[in-house]
Amino acid sequence: MNLRRVAAVASKEWREVTRDRMFLLLAFVMPAIWMFVFGYGLVLDVEHISFVVVDRDHSPLSRDYLYRFYQSRYFDFQEALAGEGDADVWLQSGRARAVIIVPEKFQERLLSGQPAEVQTLIDGTFPLRADITKSYVIAINNAFNQELLVDFLARTRGLSRGEAQRRTSPLGIEVRYLYNEEVRSTWSTVPALIMFSLMVGSPLLTALGVVREKETGSIYNIYSATVTRLEFLVGKLIPYVMISAVNVAVLWLMAVLLFAVPFKGSLWLFIASSILFVLTSTGIGLVVSLLVSTQQAALIITVVVSTVPTILFSGLIVPVSSLSRASQFQAHLFPGMYYTNITRGTFLQNVGLAVLWTDILALAIYAVVLGTIGYHLFTKRPRT
Amino acid sequence: MDQPEILTPPPAQVVRVRGFVKQYKQHIAVSGIDLEIHKGEIYGLIGPDGAGKSSLMKAIAGVLTYESGTVEVFETMIDTERAAERVKQRLGFLPQGLGLNLYPDLSVDENIDFFARLRLVPEHELAERKARLLAMTRLDKFRARAMKNLSGGMKQKLGLICTLIHEPELAILDEPTTGVDPVSRRDFWAILAELLQERGMTVLVSTAYMDEAERFHRLSFLSSGKVLASGTPAEVHALVPGSMVTFEATPQLEAISRLKTGCTQVEALGPVLRVFTEDTNPVSAAQAITSYLGDIEPQQLHVDKLDLEDVFVALLLREADQPPPSPELPTASVSSVNHGLAIEAKELIRDFGTFRAVDRVSFQVKPGEIFGLLGANGAGKTTVIKMLNGILPPTGGEGWVAGEDMKTAGGAIKERIGYMSQAFSLYLDLTVEENIRLFAGIYGLDRRATNERFAWIVSMAGLQGYESSLTVRLPMGVRQRLALGCALVHQPRVLFLDEPTSGVDPIGRRHFWDILSRLAREEGVAILITTHYMSEAEHGDHLALMYAGRIVAEGSPAAMKAQVEREAGQLLEVVTDQPGLALRQLERAGFAGIALFGAQLHLLSRDPAQDEVRIRESLASEGLHVLGAAIRPLSLEDVFVHRVMALERRDRETTKGAAA
Repeated sequence: MNLRRVAAVASKEWREVTRDRMFLLLAFVMPAIWMFVFGYGLVLDVEHISFVVVDRDHSPLSRDYLYRFYQSRYFDFQEALAGEGDADVWLQSGRARAVIIVPEKFQERLLSGQPAEVQTLIDGTFPLRADITKSYVIAINNAFNQELLVDFLARTRGLSRGEAQRRTSPLGIEVRYLYNEEVRSTWSTVPALIMFSLMVGSPLLTALGVVREKETGSIYNIYSATVTRLEFLVGKLIPYVMISAVNVAVLWLMAVLLFAVPFKGSLWLFIASSILFVLTSTGIGLVVSLLVSTQQAALIITVVVSTVPTILFSGLIVPVSSLSRASQFQAHLFPGMYYTNITRGTFLQNVGLAVLWTDILALAIYAVVLGTIGYHLFTKRPRT
Repeated sequence: MDQPEILTPPPAQVVRVRGFVKQYKQHIAVSGIDLEIHKGEIYGLIGPDGAGKSSLMKAIAGVLTYESGTVEVFETMIDTERAAERVKQRLGFLPQGLGLNLYPDLSVDENIDFFARLRLVPEHELAERKARLLAMTRLDKFRARAMKNLSGGMKQKLGLICTLIHEPELAILDEPTTGVDPVSRRDFWAILAELLQERGMTVLVSTAYMDEAERFHRLSFLSSGKVLASGTPAEVHALVPGSMVTFEATPQLEAISRLKTGCTQVEALGPVLRVFTEDTNPVSAAQAITSYLGDIEPQQLHVDKLDLEDVFVALLLREADQPPPSPELPTASVSSVNHGLAIEAKELIRDFGTFRAVDRVSFQVKPGEIFGLLGANGAGKTTVIKMLNGILPPTGGEGWVAGEDMKTAGGAIKERIGYMSQAFSLYLDLTVEENIRLFAGIYGLDRRATNERFAWIVSMAGLQGYESSLTVRLPMGVRQRLALGCALVHQPRVLFLDEPTSGVDPIGRRHFWDILSRLAREEGVAILITTHYMSEAEHGDHLALMYAGRIVAEGSPAAMKAQVEREAGQLLEVVTDQPGLALRQLERAGFAGIALFGAQLHLLSRDPAQDEVRIRESLASEGLHVLGAAIRPLSLEDVFVHRVMALERRDRETTKGAAA
């Protein structure tokens, strides 16, 4: 391998990319914009559920009960309705996702020791959101029950409130969330978005960069020169790998500084595996570019083989373990999943090589296989 | 760098091709070509688009596989990628497409550096060679300019520098002159000749311009993947003995139909007829023509040698084994007879930003006249047509077409205009019939009129038998006639043709011109045509030469030539044994504007007899022999070059004057 020729190809490519406004935008601006937009936009937390209430009792106790919903950060109170009839309108128009209906004689029944039933209507269009809404309602309801019981014991047995509290719930449960202590979805999506931004940008850039030469005919400069296949491919890929490396740094800084995601793991491990992933993603672009002859085809095929699977199967939105068996199999076919494991692992979990070696090995295999395919697909003496 | 060793002289044969076949899926592009290129010569491949030139050149350059036959370059069999790699250091390859293989965002300097470093040219040699080549091509002032901002001629020269920066022994140049203005083309050939002389380089070059054939030492004429003729220009000439008789005859149409009874090639160039005869004796050739004409008296008759293009056409006709279908122009109901001018441009101006694409262009076209707008790519021809068509509003000036001002004319005017664009604007996935009916539908013809026009177009354009063929499968010449038919579907009185003949073979082009002249003569259609083939422009009744947005000369072809002869003299052709050395010697002796055509030197002379003596003396003093000297008729290319050079000189003087 003659380094002077590699340098000639690489510096020519670098100049072309940095002087073409379209390429420059795709190379440096788009990944940061994706990170920014999706980082703020792709929030999966269910909070601020808008709801309306129908209070038929209008008693101090019913107000006390409903007040717990008004107070919660998970619910946004919209309006108190006169009757159930209006509730449908609110749900259908999407202005409310839940309706809480307190029956008549709510206070009277509870104080007299009879059970009362509060009806809750939840918009079930999105099962995930409906489930979470239900669990919030149950939690608030349980807390209210607990307090009623404590009040009752304090009143009837003459216990102090503290004592009554201990008696009613002898078995406490203490939950500690590990890794993502505040269970913020940004902490989990932002590291995965590093993967997404790299996986969309760099194959596209690489594919367009090579196919452009085929389209104009400047590829014949390479065919007819003494530069070897390896020298050309290495020289051609260096700028794109460098661009992606810069993007890794920019995206990492955005994650840590802008989205305040803690980085707990080894920076070296992150950098090393990021370089492997960058090689993989540019490798995809290279292989696509060698199979097609127009920029349009390169664009479409790259989107189909890299962007769509990345969104669906990489664990960006839905954890791979929650996918169906068939989808899980597909997820293992695309490199995105492995790198997502690595970014989440290094950002949030502080896990090392001992845990992540399988993912890193998978990426290394991808890089080698794609590189080998690219090398063999490229010929300086084609048939057409 | 590898120096040629003294003990083992390099092979005399640089390239040897035997039985070369190239196939793209089902399509056979080249079928069985033999070719030998000797060291130190310019070898030309001539032929229309699709003749197989590019496939052959790519295979020789080692960048394309082939199906059968052998290709040897520097005595190395090019049959694998590995074998091809072994000779690539000694080759330079310039692919087709003006400047397309260069990098638009890189500067002139950076482009050259890239090619040099790819070829491992040592940096100090690179600096020295670059300086020399840039000076020779007069690009040294533009070193920092991005390639995309260069003119066509400059791109072409930069492409040449990049191909030659590693000083290859064999340069393979695929259509380097297509679409470049004649001045730049001449410049290009001069630079190439100089490099050939200095470096002992061998060049394989292809062209679609038949008139460039004289510039090659040896050549092959390709058609549909086969070699129709090869050898030196003289040898190719000898294949078809004959002469060309030119004269004026009225009525022209009657004269043509009488001549067609016995002659295979009859061409109308404006008022002039050119007829091919196999007779080489001028006197009997003239007699033969007069006998065909009967009672029509030919005026200003003279007999000339054949051009190589005429030879090629004769060869093609021989190959085709039948005369081309003579265009039958079925009489259509001519709707109205126009009086006055068909087209008038008055001081048309068009600016794109700060760039003035068209600068005060004025001309007039009468009904029944063929008006040619000539110029290189980027001279402003298409912009003029677009303004006259109402597609583009002019920045200044007026355009009148069929009696209407294009600024105020509504959609109705479009019914009187036919337009055929460079790209032929046909739907390639439709059949011939579907295309014609589609265009009829677009112009709102009713069923009866559509059927009538369909029949007319098929017979006018010679499309019989092609009606249900897919357009994409048609040969270029047929496709071009179909496009013309579609532009004529609504019987326009004014027809605009924008570079309609690019890439069409010579027979197809002549057939096309036959149709055009009949349209003009018989139906009175006014035709405005643009072309960058100077030789083709001879067909026009009236021409305007465009250069950098301006019209630099106007008149009939004969008048334009006469004008230049009055101003600068007649064209003197000198044949010598060593044209490269002779050129330099004559330039030293004070002769200006000499152009090298293969083994011949061309120069304009006010006093040919005396100049011939001076040339013979000057060359004899250096031991060079003059093998022959003769006065040749000027070509339109000579006219163009003369006009543009004069203009450039004046521009330089005015800028100098302004600077002083």
